[in-house]
Amino acid sequence: MAELTFLEQLDVLAEAADSTFEAVRTPEALEEARIEFLGAKKGKLKSIQKQMGQVEKADRPAAGKRFNEIKQAIEAQLERAILRVQTLDASDSDVPSGEIFDPSLPGNACRLGHLHPITQTIEELKDIMGRLGFTVADGPEVEGEWYNFEALNIAESHPARDPLDNFYLATANSNSGLPRLLRSQTSTVQIRVMESTPPPVRIISLGRVYRPDTADATHYPMFHQMEGLLIDHQVTMADLKSVLRLFATSYLGSEVHIRFRPSFFPFTEPSVEADFRWHDEWIEFGGAGMVDPNVLEAVGYDPEQVTGFAFGLGIERLCMRRHAINDIRELYRNDVRFLQQF
Amino acid sequence: MLVSWNWLKEYVSLDMPLSELEERLAMSGLNHEGTQQIGEDLAIDLEVTSNRPDCLGHMGVAREISVLWECDLQFPGLRTSAGSATNCEIPVRIEAPKLCSHYTARVIRGVQVAASPQWMSERLSTIGLASVNNVVDATNYVLMESGQPLHAFDLGQLEGPEIVVREPFKDETFEAIDHRTYQLKPGMCVIGDAARAVALGGVMGGAATEVSATTTDVLIEAADFAPLPVRNAARRLNLHSPASYRFERGVDPAGIDWASRRCCDLILDLAGGTLLEGCARAGGSESERPPLVLRFSQLKRILGIEVSREEVRRILSALGCRETKCDEQATHVAAPSWRRDLTREIDLVEEVARIHGYDQIPEDVGVPMAPSHRSDADRVVATVRRVLTSAGIDEAMTCSLVPLAWCQQCPVWADTAPLLSEMPMKGVLAEATQKKFGPAEYLRQSLIPSLLESRRYNEAVANPGIELFEIARVYLPQQDGQLVEQSVIAITSGRDFSDVKGVIESVLAVLDPSAELEVADATLPFLSASGAAELRVAGRRLGILGAVSEETRRAFGLRSLSIVAELSLEVLEELAELVPQHSPLSQFPAITRDLNLVVDEAVRWEQLAKSVRRSAGSLLEELQFQSVYRDPQRDGQGKKRMIFSMRLRSSDRTLTGDEADHLRTEVVKSCCDNHGAELLG
Repeated sequence: MAELTFLEQLDVLAEAADSTFEAVRTPEALEEARIEFLGAKKGKLKSIQKQMGQVEKADRPAAGKRFNEIKQAIEAQLERAILRVQTLDASDSDVPSGEIFDPSLPGNACRLGHLHPITQTIEELKDIMGRLGFTVADGPEVEGEWYNFEALNIAESHPARDPLDNFYLATANSNSGLPRLLRSQTSTVQIRVMESTPPPVRIISLGRVYRPDTADATHYPMFHQMEGLLIDHQVTMADLKSVLRLFATSYLGSEVHIRFRPSFFPFTEPSVEADFRWHDEWIEFGGAGMVDPNVLEAVGYDPEQVTGFAFGLGIERLCMRRHAINDIRELYRNDVRFLQQF
Repeated sequence: MLVSWNWLKEYVSLDMPLSELEERLAMSGLNHEGTQQIGEDLAIDLEVTSNRPDCLGHMGVAREISVLWECDLQFPGLRTSAGSATNCEIPVRIEAPKLCSHYTARVIRGVQVAASPQWMSERLSTIGLASVNNVVDATNYVLMESGQPLHAFDLGQLEGPEIVVREPFKDETFEAIDHRTYQLKPGMCVIGDAARAVALGGVMGGAATEVSATTTDVLIEAADFAPLPVRNAARRLNLHSPASYRFERGVDPAGIDWASRRCCDLILDLAGGTLLEGCARAGGSESERPPLVLRFSQLKRILGIEVSREEVRRILSALGCRETKCDEQATHVAAPSWRRDLTREIDLVEEVARIHGYDQIPEDVGVPMAPSHRSDADRVVATVRRVLTSAGIDEAMTCSLVPLAWCQQCPVWADTAPLLSEMPMKGVLAEATQKKFGPAEYLRQSLIPSLLESRRYNEAVANPGIELFEIARVYLPQQDGQLVEQSVIAITSGRDFSDVKGVIESVLAVLDPSAELEVADATLPFLSASGAAELRVAGRRLGILGAVSEETRRAFGLRSLSIVAELSLEVLEELAELVPQHSPLSQFPAITRDLNLVVDEAVRWEQLAKSVRRSAGSLLEELQFQSVYRDPQRDGQGKKRMIFSMRLRSSDRTLTGDEADHLRTEVVKSCCDNHGAELLG
C-alpha cells in the first residue's frame, strides 16, 4: 500500500477529528480528544506538522495553506464540542442533541390580497341573478336628464330633480349646453337597454350612483345600487314577488318569504317596498314595482302589449348587514386591516 | 306625519287594537314609524309618500281607515257659509298666477286673542305643535285636520288694507315670524299689502302682521300655492314649515274653501268676534278632470291575481271615486279632488291592489327560465381581480370626485380640463387633505391620487404592507365635448418596480400568453424621471408604471416612496383570450444553456432578448432573464453583465448537447454583432 501523501494524511486527520469531536458528550472525552488531536507535544496535528519538511519545496506553500485550514477546522470543532458539553452539563443528559424539528413554527405564508367587500357582494348578486336568467347591463355614470329623469317619468317638478339633490356638472363644460349629472340611480341603464332592445328584456345593472348627502355613519355621497328589470308579455306582480323570493332564498341560503308594502316611485306603478322575512324579522329589501306605462312609452314600447317589473336595492346596506359593518365610511377609507377582514 | 289617536276618533271609530291599526296602515301605504304615549293620547308616526298629500291631515288618514275597515266617516259640519266673493271689503289680487292659482280671504273683527282651551293645546302638543294663541292654534288645527295650510294676518297691521299676490320687488327683504330677515329672490311668491311683503306665500307669515295679544281683527288666508316655487323658496331660504311641506306636495283645490270656513268656525268659537259676510277670492277656476276608465282585465294583467268586480267598485267608491258608468269590461270613475295622483288607469290598479292587499299576490308562480351570459368585459375584470389578489394586493374603492389638484398632478390619460360638479362631495376627504388640496368636486382623470391618499391614511396608522389596487372609471372629456368614461386599473405598491411590472406581466400572461409587454420612455410630472415607463402591448398604449417622484411623495404627505401603475381595461379586454386553446406538447426533454454577456449600459434587455429569440429560432422554448450585475473593475465603466438562460426543446427529437452548444454560439454571435456583447465564461 502506497504511503499516503502529506495532503492525504491531512484529509484523513480532518475526518477522524470530525467524527471524534462530534461524538464527544462528556468533559472527560473532550479532554481526551483535545490531547489526541491538538496536544502540544504528541497531538496528531503536531505530528503531521513535523512531516512538513519532507514535502517538495514547490508544493510547500499549498501544503502549508491546507494545514492551516485543517488546523482551524479542528479548533472550531473543539469550540463547538466545548459548548455542547457545557450545555449538556447544564441540562438533563437524556435530552437528545442537535437541532430539533419544530413543526409549530409558522409556515411561510403567501400574502393574498382581498377583494373589497362591495365587490364580493356585487359578485354574489350577479351570480344569483345570472342563475335566474338576468344578464348584466352597463351604462355611463354621467347622464343627461332624459336618462336620469325624464324617461323614468320623473317630472320637472319632482323633488328628486332639485339641483341641490344631485351632482349636476358645471354647464361650461358641456358642448351641447344640455345639463349633465352623475346618475342618481342605476335605472338609467334600463332606459338605455330598452331603447336599443325589443322585448323581452331581462337585465340587472349594478354600479356607482351619486347623491349629495354629507358622509356620515349611514350616508355616503357615492354608493352602489343593483337594479333588475324584466319586460315581456304577461309579466305580473306575482312574477316580481316570485323572482324576489327566489333571489332572497338563494342569497340567504334558506326559504324566505317576501312582503310588499305600498310605496311611491315615479318609474313604477304600482310601487312597493319589498321586505323579506329572516330570523322572524322583516328586513327591507328595496324598492320595486311594475314599470310605469309612461316609462314603457318613453322607450317606444307599447304598454298594451308588454308589462314588466323593476326592482332596486342598495348594495352598501346589504354588504354592511352581511358583514356586520356599522359605518359606511369604513368601506371607502381602505384601511388594509379592514380590507383584509373579508 | 304625526297623528293623534284621540283626534282620529273624531272622524272614524277606532275599535281595533293599536297594533292592528299600525300594521294595516303600513300594509296599505302609510308606513308606521313608531307610536308614543303623550299624556292620555297616542302620537302615531306615519310615513306619507310624496304622492299622497291627502294623508297629511287627520281627515285623510281617517278616510284610509274607513276604507280598510269598511266603517263610516264623520267629518265636522260647517256653520260659516260659503258666501259670495263680491261683498268683501278687502281687495285681493293675484299678479303672479303661476305662483298662486287661488287665494281666498275671510275677515273676522273683534276677536279676543287669548290662550287656547286645554283640549286644543293638548291636541296640538300630541302631534308636536306648541300652542300659540286661540287664533293661531285654530289655523294650525285646521291645517292638521284637513291638510290645507292657513294663515291668520292681524288685519290692523295690513296697509291698505289689501292683499296682492306677486313676485318680489328688486332687492326686497322680508321679516318672517321667526324674526329673521330674508332676502327675496325672483320666482318666490310674496303676499304683499299696499306697502310691503307681509308673508312668503305657502312658506311663512311675516312678523309685522303676526297675530298678537293686541290683535282684534284678523284676515284668514286659504290659498293654493304652486308646489315648485314653494319648494324652491323653502330650500333657498332654508325655511321649511308644515305649510311649505304640504304645498310642495299639492293641496286639495276643492278643500280650500272648506278649510277656510272650518277655521272661521273655530276662531268664532274660541276667540269670538264677528265674521264679515262673504269671502274675498282671486283665481280658483277648477278645470274638470277627465273620467278614468279601469278595465277589469288589467288587474289580472298587472297584479297576476283576480279581484272581483264588486271588490274593485267598493274600493274605488270608498276612496272617494265617483262611478259614472260601469259595464262588464270596465268601470268609469271621477277621481276625488284630494287625489291629484289618480290620473290614469294604472293609478286605479294600484289603489285596488293596496287596499285589496299585496299579501293576496302569490310568491311562488313559475317564472319562465331564460338564458343569461357573462360579458367578456366582466370576465376580464374578474380575471384581473384574481391575479391581483393572488399577487397580494388588496382591492380599494375610492370616490369618483377629487380635488382639482389631483387631476392636474396625474394626467395619465387626459389633456383636457376635468369636469367640475356644481356641488362638492362633503365628508369624503380627511380634513387636512381637503385643506391642502381643496374639495372633492372634479371628476377624476386618474385613480392614482386617490390611492396615494389611501396609502397616506394607511401609513398614518402604521399599517404594514400597503398594497392596493382599484378598478374604476376615469372621466375624460374629449376635444369635441364628448365625455369618455374609461375603466382603468390602478395599483400602488410598496414593492419595487420589477415586482409591480411582474404583476402586470402576470395579468397579461393570464389574459393572453402570447402578449408581449413593451416599454417606452415616459415623462409624467408625478413620476420619478429615472423610474417611469409607458407600457404598451400589441402596439397600443396600455398605461404607465413608475415610482412616484419625490415631489409627489411630499405633496401627498407620504413617508416612503411607492410604485404606481394605471392600466386601461379596454386594452386588456381587446387582447384577452378568454377561451385558451390547447397546443400539443413536445414529448422530448429540454436542455438549458446559461449565458453571461457583458454589454454597454445603454443596451436594454428588450433589445438583447429580441436578438436571442431571433437567432435561437423555434427551438427556444423559454428565455429566462436571471440577473443584471455590474463589476467595473473587471468589465470596465459603463458596462453591465446580463445573465440569462435559454430552455431549448425540439418538437420532434431529443436535442443533443452539441446542438445546444451550437445554438448558444449562434446566439452569442448575434448578440455580439448587434449589441457588442461579450461572452463571459
